[in-house]
Amino acid sequence: MSIAVVGVNHRTAPLEVRERFAHAPRDVATSLERLRSAGAGGGVLLSTCNRTEFYIAEPAEAVPEAVWAILTERLGDGREASAYGYLQRDREAVRHLYRVSAGLDSMILGESQIQGQVREAWELSKAQAGPVLHRLFQTALSVGARVRSETALGTGAASAPSAAVALAGKIFGLLAGRTALILGAGDIAELAASCLASEGVRVTLVANRTYERAQAIAEQLGGAALTLDEAWDHFASADIVLSSTAAPHAVVTWERVAPAIGRRRGRPLCILDLAVPRDVEPAVGQLENVFLYDIDDLQAVAAHAAAERHREIPAAERIVSDEVERFWAWYGGLAVVPVLKEFRRQLDQVRAAELERVLKRLAHLSPQDRAEVEQFSHALLNKFLHPPTIALKQAVQAGHGYGLLESLKKLFGLERQHGE
Amino acid sequence: MRVVLVPHLLALGLYGLATALALAPFAGLRPAPRALTLGLPLAGAAAQVVGVAQLTPVGVAPVLSILALFLALLQVVSERVFRAPAVAMFTGPLATGLVALALLLGLGPGDAPSAGGNAWFILHVTLSVLGLALLALAFITAALYLLQFRELKSKRFGAVFRLFPPLERLDRLNHVSLVAGFPTLTLGVLLAVGYAVRYAGGMHVDPAQVVWGSFTWVVLGSAVWVRVVRRWAGRRAAFASIAGFAAVLLVYLAFKLAAPGTQRFL
Repeated sequence: MSIAVVGVNHRTAPLEVRERFAHAPRDVATSLERLRSAGAGGGVLLSTCNRTEFYIAEPAEAVPEAVWAILTERLGDGREASAYGYLQRDREAVRHLYRVSAGLDSMILGESQIQGQVREAWELSKAQAGPVLHRLFQTALSVGARVRSETALGTGAASAPSAAVALAGKIFGLLAGRTALILGAGDIAELAASCLASEGVRVTLVANRTYERAQAIAEQLGGAALTLDEAWDHFASADIVLSSTAAPHAVVTWERVAPAIGRRRGRPLCILDLAVPRDVEPAVGQLENVFLYDIDDLQAVAAHAAAERHREIPAAERIVSDEVERFWAWYGGLAVVPVLKEFRRQLDQVRAAELERVLKRLAHLSPQDRAEVEQFSHALLNKFLHPPTIALKQAVQAGHGYGLLESLKKLFGLERQHGE
Repeated sequence: MRVVLVPHLLALGLYGLATALALAPFAGLRPAPRALTLGLPLAGAAAQVVGVAQLTPVGVAPVLSILALFLALLQVVSERVFRAPAVAMFTGPLATGLVALALLLGLGPGDAPSAGGNAWFILHVTLSVLGLALLALAFITAALYLLQFRELKSKRFGAVFRLFPPLERLDRLNHVSLVAGFPTLTLGVLLAVGYAVRYAGGMHVDPAQVVWGSFTWVVLGSAVWVRVVRRWAGRRAAFASIAGFAAVLLVYLAFKLAAPGTQRFL
């Protein structure tokens, strides 16, 4: 018995490679079936934009090669997928999944999206997973939850978009129901607006130099379109202004927006200026109850949160290690019964053969004496087997039985027969 | 005496512990579980209720004790309802200090009010002290607001940014406590007038107390008026709250300096 993980992630493969390895949900079952045909006892495929990993139960020798073959086919340009990947076995494979689920292996340390992705991978692969991986993924999800509740690994805003949401949240509390005015209709404005919309912010207005482009984005986000010149008056009513135009100089000037801001009756206004060069004149940030943040500020918030999260790594790793040992104790317990059964069967065969041989030589013994000798052989075998059986069971309960089990299999040649 | 002192000592310990937990995140320690940050002040308040129930609410020490009790309860409400645990940074030390001061001044039985007016008198003290506690909470939330405002305006993203509640939540808590505190205190004062006329043979008040008391009431009333009628919010409203509570505090301290003594609260 063993577990392995074979795959690539953002540390080992560039984006151009990772995107070719990414599996659509409809392709998962086909790839896992190929692994089962190669001799895998079960498999789960975790495929996100940052990783493609096959978790395999009882991987036969050919299974890792089958994984590399699947991935190499996806590269399709003669390059070997194995050059970008890794293979980890047993405890290290379990540790790897637990670290992934906890966000310790993520590009943005501690991000929580991965936990949903682990759950999706497990649900998508359930039919091919088998009981060991089923348990492994269930525990991985609870490890992720434990790390997030017992450490501060997931706290703070560790990316620029989440920093924008965090800053607005520090002003308004709940963002649901707040209104946003978007200046600019480029990709960055669209992405940041979607990020705010996902927090419940209503994008009511989109203003752009060209009206048609503003209209296209406004339709997507459910707002109305404006030209830039029409936007200034709406600084009186919006809660959040998100600016990301391609203008070469500041378009949001004190003269343009101060009169509208003066009508806000002290209500705070959060202006997020994501443009480089900046769209908003610094003087606007000096207005009463206006909170102006540019891209450097967002990155400073993100860097601060990332530093805080890094301090939590040792505590998170301790939880992962504890849980790996706990899983391994369960896994060792799962393996010990059939191995002990085989061990006893094999020794009993030896006992029976030797007894038969000796009884042939002692043909003069009465049936009663023969029964005594047979009884003696059973008792002797039990006496011999008792200490190693107890020691093995105790080691399994203590969480380090797997190594002993492997030794026992090797010493008595049980592996081959057990496998057979 | 023991039935008064032991619950107060217990409350002092529990409030002290709650204060330490509230301040711990600012020392870089992990925030305490919510069950503890809510449970400790609640347990302290429960102990204190036992002690306060044995007191005659006359004199400085019993009033300080009741004020500490209300502050602890408001701390729990702020955290539970408004998700503003940072309030405990101020209410915690304040409640602890007030209980300690009450114990130092001596928590013994004072001059009991006349039998007929007992309920009236207790209601007067309860409402007045609750009003003061609410105004103190308004002051605290205004101070938290201004600190968080400065942090956000100056783009410093340190402990205050992370641990203080959002501005709008603080503004809301300030609004509620100010608007609830002012009429509560006013009603408490009116009950004192009624009690004096009905049970104590008329008002025996220094004219200076009337003048300065009215001044304080006008300052506080103005803070409420600009919030409710003029719809002030944010920084200006926070300054108005601070001015209102500062007026109450300064006038009280001036009276106590002019006529020291712990037998009467005012």
